[in-house]
Amino acid sequence: MTEGRNHIPTTRSGTDVELVIKNAHVLDPSGNLDGVMDVRVAGGRIAEVGENLAGGREIAADGLHLFPGFVDVHAHWRSPGQEHRESIESGSGAAAAGGFTGVVMMPNTDPVVDRPVVVSGLVRRAGRESRVRAYVSAALHVGLAGERLTEMKLLKEAGALCVSDDGLGTQRASVLRSGMLYARSAGLPVILHCEDHTLATGVVHEGRHSALTGLPGTPASAEDVATAAGLILAAETGAKVHITHVSTGLSAALVGFFKKLGIADVTSDTTPHHLTLTDELVATLEGLYRVNPPLRPKKDLNAVREALSDGTFDFVATDHAPHASHEKDLPLEEANPGFLGHETAFAAIYTELVLSGRLSLRRLVEAMSCAPGRWVGEGGGLAVGGPADIALVDLTEEWTVERRTLLSKSENSPYRGRRLTGRVAGTIVGGEFVYNARDIAGVGFGVRA
Amino acid sequence: MRNFLTVEGLNRESLREVIETAQDFASGRFGNDVLSGRTVCLAFFESSTRTAVSFELAARRNGAFVISLSEKGSSISKGESLVDTVVTLDALGADAMVLRHPAAGAARLAAQHTAAAVINAGDGCGQHPTQALLDLYALAEARGGFDELEGEKIAVVGDVLHSRVARSIIPAFQAAGAEVAVCAPATLLPAEAGAWGIPVLDSIDEALAWGAEALYMLRLQNERMTGALVPSVAEYSRFYGVQRHHLSADPELLVMHPGPVNRGVEIAGDVVMDERSLIKSQVAAGVHVRSAVLALATGAVERIAV
Repeated sequence: MTEGRNHIPTTRSGTDVELVIKNAHVLDPSGNLDGVMDVRVAGGRIAEVGENLAGGREIAADGLHLFPGFVDVHAHWRSPGQEHRESIESGSGAAAAGGFTGVVMMPNTDPVVDRPVVVSGLVRRAGRESRVRAYVSAALHVGLAGERLTEMKLLKEAGALCVSDDGLGTQRASVLRSGMLYARSAGLPVILHCEDHTLATGVVHEGRHSALTGLPGTPASAEDVATAAGLILAAETGAKVHITHVSTGLSAALVGFFKKLGIADVTSDTTPHHLTLTDELVATLEGLYRVNPPLRPKKDLNAVREALSDGTFDFVATDHAPHASHEKDLPLEEANPGFLGHETAFAAIYTELVLSGRLSLRRLVEAMSCAPGRWVGEGGGLAVGGPADIALVDLTEEWTVERRTLLSKSENSPYRGRRLTGRVAGTIVGGEFVYNARDIAGVGFGVRA
Repeated sequence: MRNFLTVEGLNRESLREVIETAQDFASGRFGNDVLSGRTVCLAFFESSTRTAVSFELAARRNGAFVISLSEKGSSISKGESLVDTVVTLDALGADAMVLRHPAAGAARLAAQHTAAAVINAGDGCGQHPTQALLDLYALAEARGGFDELEGEKIAVVGDVLHSRVARSIIPAFQAAGAEVAVCAPATLLPAEAGAWGIPVLDSIDEALAWGAEALYMLRLQNERMTGALVPSVAEYSRFYGVQRHHLSADPELLVMHPGPVNRGVEIAGDVVMDERSLIKSQVAAGVHVRSAVLALATGAVERIAV
């Protein structure tokens, strides 16, 4: 992607200051860096990585890990139109608190991001209000209705990074096919929300817990049928396709199969919650635990974990989906689907998968930073000359997820009350601290409540 | 005050004591002022006839103040949320709220927002616990006592998938010591019907071969009778309906149904009124059981922890 058009400007006030981050444990799989060293930042870019660096403002990062900033290709900041749930300002604040330096905003807003003027408006607002690099996903079809193609070439000119009918998915294969063909000619990747609405009539995973609770279940096939269709059409059309929030074992296998065949230009992600939580939680009947795709049983959780570990899934995306409390404090069937994701993503996966030995820290950083950074075309590594987008993380800090510690406007985190290990201490975008929980070296916000 | 949200978790002794309390109400032991001074709110977010009438009768016969809210003519129809309605009723001093709602879990959510006892009168496809209690009562009466339910083989037949009644009677009958099986076409069963750990049977004939002594027939909802779930009423009735010849095969066989019955569909017309059909007893039991639940939940009768 062309740097400088699709996101907030890299140059922000303060980035002229030269920083040397001292004695952090630097881990960057893309540059094969793994050890205690220093990172020098100048002009908003990585100037040098090595030992005994000097110059500019020195920041003591002893005991902290330094990763390339996390990149999230799937988030809902609810602008325009639903700012009671989240705004660019609050969403990007939450992202920064989670170590994210780049975020793709999904288009299912009110109005839908389906016209060039909406895209350009969002790009401008993000430039003013976002703490992190914010990228715009426009809709694939007007109103996400799966009928008329959006003006994809104009959307791209206006600053869209990709297109997606996220939230609904495109329901007719013929329409999706032409959408993919046109997106390919417009040079825009398509993010696929795979869900067949003729099967997806429930609100939770159809299985043991839907049987016992009476909550309407949606079979796993609702996702699998759409995933298969999306992959087949991607192979046929040659579109660059990213399958998002994969949650079932069979869909993971399908993605793996098509990748092995090499006939489709496909990448995929899964979410922190599908990696760490199961559908046992819906037995509480609480609206908090409604999400789409739904939480799955253990066998799918294990398959999804395996697919992330072995690289079938390219990266993790949060599907950060804030809802106001009155939209979640309802019977589960009536609650809006969605979880907060930014602020707990790293810690949840680190706690559940890395500390238990199921996933290497290196693979996690690859999946949260490097691969999605490559996908958006920016960040994702600490290469000299690249943007100084950095997450500083204390892997030893234990914390409890509580409402008062969240920077999102909403509080619908499925991890509320849980004890997690690993916490972001500071986030740097373009050489500037955008989150600085500990007021590291006295340079930053100290924004954590 | 104790809530009454689900049958799950109740043990045999708890069930027995509710049934025995209901029997006391049936015999007139408590007079007609057990609930005197208590305020009972009937909040029906979904239409109901027999359950609503049964609860109202139970509350009024025992001297309670009764407030009735229905989906029509109240703030519910103006889009007021469940939580807001519950908070309002709480502020008005309700001692008990009888709640029916189209979403599973509604009663549990309501209970988090009020000090009143919340009684679940049916929530979505979730639970209908007082229905299960009145069914236990009716079957126990027919068999000669609560202890006679031990070892009784009961087949629950029909639309198990969408039935809150099924989700309540299966654990209730099990807790009472009965053996339970479900009997339905695969389209009307939950994907993992084995979640209950009970046999899954495929016709009334199979249920009888299994040894069913009672057939608990679930209502086949008209809107689900055609299309993708069941090919035709005729086929459904042939394999999952109770006919006269089924009764002839076993003189001890009893037939139950939570009502309203689709005559000729779940149960042949001449079987509905047969002496071995417990349908009327079930309805009559409703008032006694709901009297007992209201009295126990509000603390008017202190007998057990419900």
